[in-house]
Amino acid sequence: MRRALRRWAAGRSLALAVAGVLCGAGPALAQGAGAVPGFPVTVPNCGDTLRIAAPPKRMVVHDLNMVEMAMALGLQSSMVGVTGITGWYKTDAAFLRSLGAIPELAPKYPTLETLLAAKPDLFFAGWYYGMQPGGEVTPATLAPHGIQTLILTESCAHTLGDKPRATMDLLYGDLLRLGTVFGRRAEAERLIAQWRERVRAAIRSPLPQPPRVFVYDSGEDKPFTAGRAAMPTALIEAAGGRNVLGDVPMSWGTSAWETVAASNPQVIVLLDYQNGQGPEHLQRLLQAHPAMRLTDAVRQRRFVTLRYAELTPGPANIDAIEKLARALRQAP
Amino acid sequence: MTPPGADARTARRSAVPLRVALRRAAPVGIALALVLLVMASLTAGSAPVSWREAAVALAGPWAGAFGAPAGDMAQAIVRDLRLPRVVLALLVGATLALVGGLLQSTTRNDLADPFLFGLSSGASTGAVAVITLTGEWLGAWTLPAATFAGAAVAAGAVLLLVRRAGGQGPAQTVLAGLAVSFLFGALTHGLVFAGDQRAAHAVVFWSLGGLGLARWDNLWLACLGLAVPMVFVWRRHRALDALLAGDDTAHSLGIAPERLRTQAFVVAAVATACCVALAGVIGFVGLMVPHLARRLSGPLHAAFLPLAGVLGAGLLLASDLVARTLLGSQELPVGIVTAGIGALFVMALLRRRVSD
Repeated sequence: MRRALRRWAAGRSLALAVAGVLCGAGPALAQGAGAVPGFPVTVPNCGDTLRIAAPPKRMVVHDLNMVEMAMALGLQSSMVGVTGITGWYKTDAAFLRSLGAIPELAPKYPTLETLLAAKPDLFFAGWYYGMQPGGEVTPATLAPHGIQTLILTESCAHTLGDKPRATMDLLYGDLLRLGTVFGRRAEAERLIAQWRERVRAAIRSPLPQPPRVFVYDSGEDKPFTAGRAAMPTALIEAAGGRNVLGDVPMSWGTSAWETVAASNPQVIVLLDYQNGQGPEHLQRLLQAHPAMRLTDAVRQRRFVTLRYAELTPGPANIDAIEKLARALRQAP
Repeated sequence: MTPPGADARTARRSAVPLRVALRRAAPVGIALALVLLVMASLTAGSAPVSWREAAVALAGPWAGAFGAPAGDMAQAIVRDLRLPRVVLALLVGATLALVGGLLQSTTRNDLADPFLFGLSSGASTGAVAVITLTGEWLGAWTLPAATFAGAAVAAGAVLLLVRRAGGQGPAQTVLAGLAVSFLFGALTHGLVFAGDQRAAHAVVFWSLGGLGLARWDNLWLACLGLAVPMVFVWRRHRALDALLAGDDTAHSLGIAPERLRTQAFVVAAVATACCVALAGVIGFVGLMVPHLARRLSGPLHAAFLPLAGVLGAGLLLASDLVARTLLGSQELPVGIVTAGIGALFVMALLRRRVSD
């Protein structure tokens, strides 16, 4: 009787185990087949490919522009934290509202510890956007802890030998990758179509020839600006202009004042970090500079102030193109 | 100078007649090189400016002699960017070399140079503090004022440390300089860490140097920087010579070595602060040029220090020309060039000493 009981118990536990496995596998199977079709997915990732087995549930996003990208796709419920926002920029009420209860894990660069403590499954960042080559937080240091990294495509120019010309695909492509990774490719495509429509509307009136534009970030002895591989080149070209340093094979970097002055820009973009001295300071520097004050842009005071998030890949790029397109079409 | 019956030993030391020949030809050669460098600096650069445009820009009211007027921009680039830059390079290069030579003589330390004494890191801290914390409270003068204040505080700290330590022996001075240098370096990095993203770019300028801030209206600061040590050397060169024979001999000649050292140090601090305020930290000019000058002129200060000044001016002008033209539309911090040349120079010096 006791043996029978034991056999019954053994049979029952086996049955339970089998049931357990089936139940556990059930959602996975269902997911693969129904709820989120198409997983696993692979997306290009800085010359590599990123393979995602299932939509991430605990993403951490670094920097204002990438957070806005994630929020544009409504990924808040899959985010467990953001980094690198309040240490550098003022945030407006609308941004904080859409961020909701998602905590900021580090006001500037995250440490490896900070990230591990949040137990993310995906880190969305870029080179010099939260990660530094050889630094503490890189795809290689995160991988052993089961954290995958989605790298901002614009930032790949920092680690790759060739510096491809920036185009709007840096934004559209990254939004598609993000959508693919989270199984929301259709939403991403819809959003991109809307953005393309807004850009088309902004440049409806054609320009006889592209105005020369200079992007001024900072620097007194020599200007820190955007070259061929940086997003502003794409924005300026999308708005119908031409970055005067758009052929310099660099991402963000320094140039020389005489190069800029000799190119005689017609419009100057001033970067507003919403912190510290601001675009008024940059404008004063240009007006006092012996060569820059002779350029068309300074003489005619044609300045466009754009926020950091508007000049780095993110949804605000479209606002930037609209502002630029308007400024380029204003009579000098 | 070579004895008629030169034996095997003097024949082997063929460097002696070569050195003499160099010494005789040096003034003409140096002057010619400086003129060529100035001309090259005015015409070469990332923006294309022709010789004719440069000449027109320089001719000012007499420009008519060169035919058609140059464009406004080319004129502004030559007259208001490159020319003040050339002048600044000459002034700062001369000052750094002069001050380096002065410090090497008075501390009797071959390694002494304006930046070993923490002056540069103090100046950088001042600049970065303004960029990250206060903003422009003095208008365009904020940054020079802040660098000057930083360098002055650092120099004061070194002087105090050396005084407290009881003596001003070469080792103590260098140690005090290093300690102050590291302290201010730590402060600067703290400020960069706490500041916004632009602070990191600013720090590159202050720690690697550059001549891009040169304007006609701020060159007086560099002139002051050169005038202070020049007047000092002119008035005290005999006392400095006496110091070469040792403190006791100097004493017997009626010179107080400690007082002379303190004076030299204050002079060096003022001069360096003026340089750093406009050009950031440009390393190795003050260390390397005095060694070269001493070889050409001998140790007497009336000849040695002016020569060091002229060579320093030429070296910095040449380095800036390289920094401005090497990368096309981008500009290299000039400190990278001087440090590169300087390091190679020291290596060659060491090799020669070893083989001697």
